[in-house]
Amino acid sequence: MSVDLSKFQSAFFEESAEHIATMEEGLLQLEQQPGDLDLLNRIFRAAHSIKGNAGMFGFTAVGEFTHKMENILDALRNDRRQADKPLIDLLLEATDGVKGLLEAAQTNAAPDETIVGPLRERLQACVTGEASGARSEARGTGQDNPPAGLSPGASRPSSCPAPSLRRYAIHWAPTPAVFARGIHPSQILRELRDLGALTSTADIEHLPTIEALAADTNPPSFTVTLETAHARQEVEAVFLFVQDDSELTITEVEAKAEVEKNPDRRLSPLPSTSASTSENRPPKPLGEILIEEGVISPDALHQALSQQKRLGEILVEQNAATPQEITQALEKQQRAAPAKKAEASSIRVDTDKIDKLINLVGELVITQSMLSDLGARFAMDKLPVLQERITQLERNTREIQERVMAVRMMPIGNAFSRFPRLVRDLASKNGKQIHLVLSGEETELDKTVIESIGDPLTHLVRNSADHGLEPPADRLAAGKPEQGTITMNAFHEGGNICITVGDDGRGLNRDKILAKAVKNGLIGEHDKLGDDQIWQLIFRPGFSTAEAITDVSGRGVGMDVVKRNIEGLGGKIMIKTAAGQGTTFTLKLPLTLAIIEGLTVRVGPEIYIVPLVSIVESLKPAPGAVKTVVGRGETLNFRGRYVPVVRLYRAFSVQPEYTDPSKGILVILETEGEQVAVMVDELMGQQQVVIKSLERNFRKVDGVAGATILGDGTVGFILDVRGLIELARHGTAVAA
Amino acid sequence: MGKQILIVDDSATMRQMVSFTLTSAGFEVVEAGDGQEAVGKLTGGAKPNLVITDLNMPHMDGISLIKAVRAMPPFKFTPVLMLTTESDEGKKKEGQAAGATGWIVKPFNPEQMLKVIAKVLPS
Repeated sequence: MSVDLSKFQSAFFEESAEHIATMEEGLLQLEQQPGDLDLLNRIFRAAHSIKGNAGMFGFTAVGEFTHKMENILDALRNDRRQADKPLIDLLLEATDGVKGLLEAAQTNAAPDETIVGPLRERLQACVTGEASGARSEARGTGQDNPPAGLSPGASRPSSCPAPSLRRYAIHWAPTPAVFARGIHPSQILRELRDLGALTSTADIEHLPTIEALAADTNPPSFTVTLETAHARQEVEAVFLFVQDDSELTITEVEAKAEVEKNPDRRLSPLPSTSASTSENRPPKPLGEILIEEGVISPDALHQALSQQKRLGEILVEQNAATPQEITQALEKQQRAAPAKKAEASSIRVDTDKIDKLINLVGELVITQSMLSDLGARFAMDKLPVLQERITQLERNTREIQERVMAVRMMPIGNAFSRFPRLVRDLASKNGKQIHLVLSGEETELDKTVIESIGDPLTHLVRNSADHGLEPPADRLAAGKPEQGTITMNAFHEGGNICITVGDDGRGLNRDKILAKAVKNGLIGEHDKLGDDQIWQLIFRPGFSTAEAITDVSGRGVGMDVVKRNIEGLGGKIMIKTAAGQGTTFTLKLPLTLAIIEGLTVRVGPEIYIVPLVSIVESLKPAPGAVKTVVGRGETLNFRGRYVPVVRLYRAFSVQPEYTDPSKGILVILETEGEQVAVMVDELMGQQQVVIKSLERNFRKVDGVAGATILGDGTVGFILDVRGLIELARHGTAVAA
Repeated sequence: MGKQILIVDDSATMRQMVSFTLTSAGFEVVEAGDGQEAVGKLTGGAKPNLVITDLNMPHMDGISLIKAVRAMPPFKFTPVLMLTTESDEGKKKEGQAAGATGWIVKPFNPEQMLKVIAKVLPS
């Protein structure tokens, strides 16, 4: 029977990522509480699980590497080493190494040896250093052992094609300890019988019960003769689990060079079922056999293999291909790899959540059957019952909707977990002391959102550590504690999740920002801006207050990218800052990307949905407020800014009720700091809509983000604010 | 009739794999995430014909679990296999002293595991 375990690989990678997070988190804590045994055990278990599971999938590189870490962790557990900073540094780096190896294994790529190689050596040096005089560390790497300690002979392909029969005299005297471990002699004897013809004085089928045997202080011993074609090791393997608690002698009585004879034909007192050893295994690689035979050492093999040329190199040498062609082909291969990775995305869901969902579906089915029953013989007097049932259906649907969304929900702690490590690294690079406070880790939000906010959050944290917090000397001078604090918090607010990243640093510098913005031409020298408008300037493309680009931040990725990412998720970013007291960024994100809160608007007979997060204000303009500015098309003077106006009926060619803006309504929308006024006939109301992709079902339409099914069954389009702004620009270009 | 096997491992991946292998081979599988949970299953009515346990686990490790199993009259003679990563003799000795019937060294393939199970499972 062959069982394919490869389908569990994605589960393995997912679980390993959790273990790595546990290790990282644990190591950081260990630095604060060295010698905490619980903590060490937890880290050890995580490393151990990765090692064990990696072996199961044949990721030996991961297994060996983790094994070295495990040795060091074990030394820490046993107080043979101290968890000092250099060691924690090494282990943290090694954790990154494991991560790299796992990623390589996942994409079938070769691991980056320039990183992993030196790390492996440092770990080895550390291991060897600690093992001096102690037990040998060379063994147990998971590779140089036979794959499983059981029947070692059975896993070996039978090397001799013509089996010769051997006869063994076996004397086995088990101690009661054997029985106490749940081993009955009949199992051993049957196993022997499966190897060949067994002659026994005992009646295998009628042995005493295990209870009786275990109670017997003088248990029976067994003397048998076995005639078998199997190797001696296989006979010994039968006693693998009992040899420590038994007296056992196996002597070869006589060797018969019997060729191709069926052992069953020989006289045997007991029926024999000879086990088949012909196993359909691929032959071992040459190197492995040579090592087994003692011809070469593993090191020699390794060295020889490392001299082996890669296919690409050989082809180039033989002029069969140019280096460019090889590079191109390799790139193609690499491009294919991540695609595969994306496919394997999976999610782990609490069984509890699924059970609740199943319950709800059950209720839904009941409601449905009640409704169809009602429909089958409906009379007008049953109208109240119908309404009641419909209310019930509505409740079921809403609950199921919530539960299904909950399936995709994950605690944000998964996204937070990388920050303790990041902050530690940033602190030591910047020469600052930083304390990171995390809260609200249990707050749940959509998996896609979690995956997408990692980078923006990292940027904000880097920003706080790099620019927000002052160097220790400045802090002391300002009467603040030497150690700066970065806080990250997550909480639900309405249908949104808020994530804050705050520091108790110097706060945003109003004058500096203004000066910089003027210098970069973002604003005019005499523009008057409120505080909030000034803070928003740091999100403008091409803005960076850092005077010198440091190692940790300012690598060309600005706050504008953060803002764009957040808005891409349908979120908002806000700043609160006070000079000398610190800055807090608040991200407000929708819980899920599949459903949005929208405002329904009407243009003639058509209904459109405007994402609520983008709406700044709705107004009825005074007659003449919408003016045509040369080169900019129609604009509205909205609080001192000229906002382009898009008449939705023109953009989408529908027959409106009003063509005069002062009769209709202008909805001011904003995204990425840009605004647009959209003219509609009427505001209808607010509702949640499920986004259906238009591109997937039809094609991309400018100004439309997607579609949804409205309450009356018709299709409504969801407006794309970014697209409308582009449309306004485009429109003016045409008009001008 | 399928025999019942209790598999105890804190790694969900490992449990899934072992469970899948055993179910495919016709066994009925009960899972537990650590020693404590396993004891809960045993006192709660599970009647496994075999217990397979990992050694390194939170709350209650494998060795303690083996001792606990041996201390329960109904499971005094139930075969218990331990999963170990190392060929560490010490762990094997410790396990045997605690009452483990045998061991399976990780990494193993499904066929190897089924072979060891056949070796210790009373017919």
